[in-house]
Amino acid sequence: MSAGPGATSGIAIVGAGIIGLYTAYHLARAGAGPITVLDRGWLSNGASGRNGGGVRQQWETPATVRLARESVAAYRRFGREFGFNIWFRQGGYLFLAESEPELRHLSGVTSTIRSEGLDGKLLRPEEVPHYAPGLDPGGLVGGSYLHSDGTLYPFPALWALNEAVVREGVNLRMGTEVTGIRTEDARVTGLATSAGPLVASVVVNAAGGWAGDLSALAGLPTPNHATRHEILATEPLKPFLDPMVVRLRDGLYFSQTMRGEIVGGLTMAHPTGTRAGMPSSSAFLRAMSRALVGLLPSIRHLGVLRAWSGFYDDTPDGLPVIGEDPRLRGFFHANGFGGHGFMLAPAASRRVAQAILGERSDLDPGQFSVGRFLTPPADRPVEGLQLG
Amino acid sequence: MASSRAVPFTFRGRRGSVEPGETLLEHLASRGLPTLQRSIRYHRPRAPFCGIGHCTNCLVRVNGEPNVRACRYLPQAGDSVTTTNAWPSPEHDLMGLLDVVFLRGLDTLHGFRRPAWATPVFQRIVRRLAGYGPIAAASAAAPPTATAPIDLDVLVIGAGPAGRQAGHRLADAGRSVGLLDRGVIAAPPDRVALFPRTTAVFLPPPHSGGDRPFEAVAFEEPDRGRLFRVRTVVLASGAYDASLLFTGNDRPGVMTADGALSMAPGERAPPFHRALIVGGGARAAEMLDRFGAHTEALVAPGPISPEVTRRASGLSVALYPRTLLLSASGRGRVRHVRLLSRGGGPEFSVAVDAIVLAHRRLPHAQLLFQAGAQMEWRGTAGSYFPVLGPGSQTTVPGLYAVGEVAGFSDGVAAEASALAAADAILGRNVPSPGVRAPDAPNELVGYYRDLLRFPAGLGKQVACACEDVLLEELREATARGYRGLEVVKRYTGLGTGLCQGRYCLPEALLILSILEARSPPEVGYIRQRPPVIPTPLSALAELPEPAPEST
Repeated sequence: MSAGPGATSGIAIVGAGIIGLYTAYHLARAGAGPITVLDRGWLSNGASGRNGGGVRQQWETPATVRLARESVAAYRRFGREFGFNIWFRQGGYLFLAESEPELRHLSGVTSTIRSEGLDGKLLRPEEVPHYAPGLDPGGLVGGSYLHSDGTLYPFPALWALNEAVVREGVNLRMGTEVTGIRTEDARVTGLATSAGPLVASVVVNAAGGWAGDLSALAGLPTPNHATRHEILATEPLKPFLDPMVVRLRDGLYFSQTMRGEIVGGLTMAHPTGTRAGMPSSSAFLRAMSRALVGLLPSIRHLGVLRAWSGFYDDTPDGLPVIGEDPRLRGFFHANGFGGHGFMLAPAASRRVAQAILGERSDLDPGQFSVGRFLTPPADRPVEGLQLG
Repeated sequence: MASSRAVPFTFRGRRGSVEPGETLLEHLASRGLPTLQRSIRYHRPRAPFCGIGHCTNCLVRVNGEPNVRACRYLPQAGDSVTTTNAWPSPEHDLMGLLDVVFLRGLDTLHGFRRPAWATPVFQRIVRRLAGYGPIAAASAAAPPTATAPIDLDVLVIGAGPAGRQAGHRLADAGRSVGLLDRGVIAAPPDRVALFPRTTAVFLPPPHSGGDRPFEAVAFEEPDRGRLFRVRTVVLASGAYDASLLFTGNDRPGVMTADGALSMAPGERAPPFHRALIVGGGARAAEMLDRFGAHTEALVAPGPISPEVTRRASGLSVALYPRTLLLSASGRGRVRHVRLLSRGGGPEFSVAVDAIVLAHRRLPHAQLLFQAGAQMEWRGTAGSYFPVLGPGSQTTVPGLYAVGEVAGFSDGVAAEASALAAADAILGRNVPSPGVRAPDAPNELVGYYRDLLRFPAGLGKQVACACEDVLLEELREATARGYRGLEVVKRYTGLGTGLCQGRYCLPEALLILSILEARSPPEVGYIRQRPPVIPTPLSALAELPEPAPEST
């Protein structure tokens, strides 16, 4: 049975990460349906279970600042709303600049967020250790700080949304792989999956690091680019570090979790295409350890407990892709979050749901639509603060 | 009496001294079982458990550096050693009240959400509880320099009998061989480069190009990073004694056989007088040989072997085959155990002052998983072992597994596997591969099935001691539909502590197979992440630049 034009025969969301689950939640609460969420892995197998838990509002593009701000509010009430404690701790985000151009960059970010009503501060080098004791201020020319940024513990957010969407009647199918997207007259009619066909007039691509592959499967090339990213965690220490610290030069970031571990990563130039198994590398262990020991000498004898890797779903301009694909009716993007899906999820997924429901949205459609990559480049905003 | 070579140091402000080569734990245990730590969530008292540098129970602070393992640490002259994470002392810690207040456990997943205004207060309190020690005082440090890579034909990991045999034969044939071991290496074979107190912590899959496809990262204690570039790896990393689940299984006095041996080197008396040995096989017999005079009773989950029975008959040791160890109780240290025959009858109590776990040996197989070797579940041993071809070669070309890590638990078979690997590497005719015993379902599955029928009683069944995860939390995860070891690990935090799941995951795998009603391989396993043991940032920072990854 195929759905006629205009009929809502079902919504299929591909990817049970934070974006897919949150989108399903918003849609289910709005009464849309029936909704199926499919994922080929197990819950928390993708980037939603592999990230460092940072949630920040310091961005260069005002639209992203607004999404982030709304997400912070959502995470503040998350425990009361969903019944799971995600330990969202607003210890601030501290960006470090080691050159004048980097400091100008932070200065621009701070003015942007201040004009959005956030209390961001630009710091002199000697002020930095006040926010991060033990940090070697040598080489710093300044920093920026926002106290209401923070970190959370990602797993409980996934358990909470998993249970919430199931309560709302969403059909959640883990371990189910999408093998094809069925279309008719440039309109989505359903999916072929490892568990058989599924009729759907709406398909949401929330596949994270595999979003580019899924779009390609639908015959819709996008510039999404999966970038392997590695993280390590150390032995736990008594709390000494409140903020997430991010260094612009090499993308080094780290925070101290509620459990006392130092958790962080940095930007590496890795070959792509080595997706199977998401391996760790000794190159990362070496580079990350050198960076941490240099910036925070007092933890140099601290043991590294474990390292792991996952995928950033990167886009050329550092901004996510949200909304319907102009090439295929019913195919919606909710991807390209470049390692920041968790921090933007509550607000971004609401915009995805609004687009599906045909509701008015406050997002500039041009800025987040996949269409921006399909036409010759114009003077578009670019998000330059892609790290941390 | 201290000899003239004795190394003086202070422990909690009191002067002491060790002989050169004596670990801090050996020194402390010679004065009785020390309680050195408190657990991370409930501040339960903890005394040394594993003795081989994995658990959190002997972490102390040395000259301001936290998280130093007493069982691995060789005191230096003038060291100041203190305890952490307890006030006023690990024996009498005020925060131990948490264990009583949260008698049935503390639900950090669902608790602490209301009222909204109190959230930051809860966070501050819970955060204070985290961690074993405070950060070291800041001090100037030289920036890391890079060590030179070590290029060899063969790297032999583990210098037990099997590793030494393989290394010796390969060196005799003219191969350049490096032999590394976490401990001291006895009796150096000729022409083999020795790397004592060195642990291979990361063995990525071999890269496709080049002469030396294996690049093994190793950590030489106390703070050296090493990179070995080799053609062939022989893994002889051995095995360790497993944990066991029962009520009060983390009490001071509960220790593995490895742990008991670590506190009683040579002929020294152990820090107990009337132990309960757990196990009915070869390792239990070994414990009777060593500690028979200090043993009260022996309990086995299954049958008791003739070799154990024979040894026990000469000692006044009571034997309890096919018996459940329900609980260990006592204020602080273990004083009593409650036992129940699996064949029926009433529960009974035995007075003991230690429990020595010698019922099951598990392979140190992390590097095999990391390197991508295909593993298979062996029910008899209750663990995963490498799939082996002729000459003990794994499914990764150039990677050989010999001895206990490969499942050859008796000495003769272990030696044969080592010599077969050496011959295969040398291109010689390989004798027929060692035959492992036929597989059978694990006896502990039935044991745990019986145990799970009993209520925990007034005490905690600690499924993961590093993170204080209780058996009840595993049940809750299953009841809510979280299935499989990877997911349950993330749901409960089980296996994410300092031992990285060495002690909890093998037991959790068996328990989940009961709770989820499917076989252990279906419950799965977890990815073995590098490094294999906690490795200082400073050691990793000085590694040489590795070769670019092959795609």
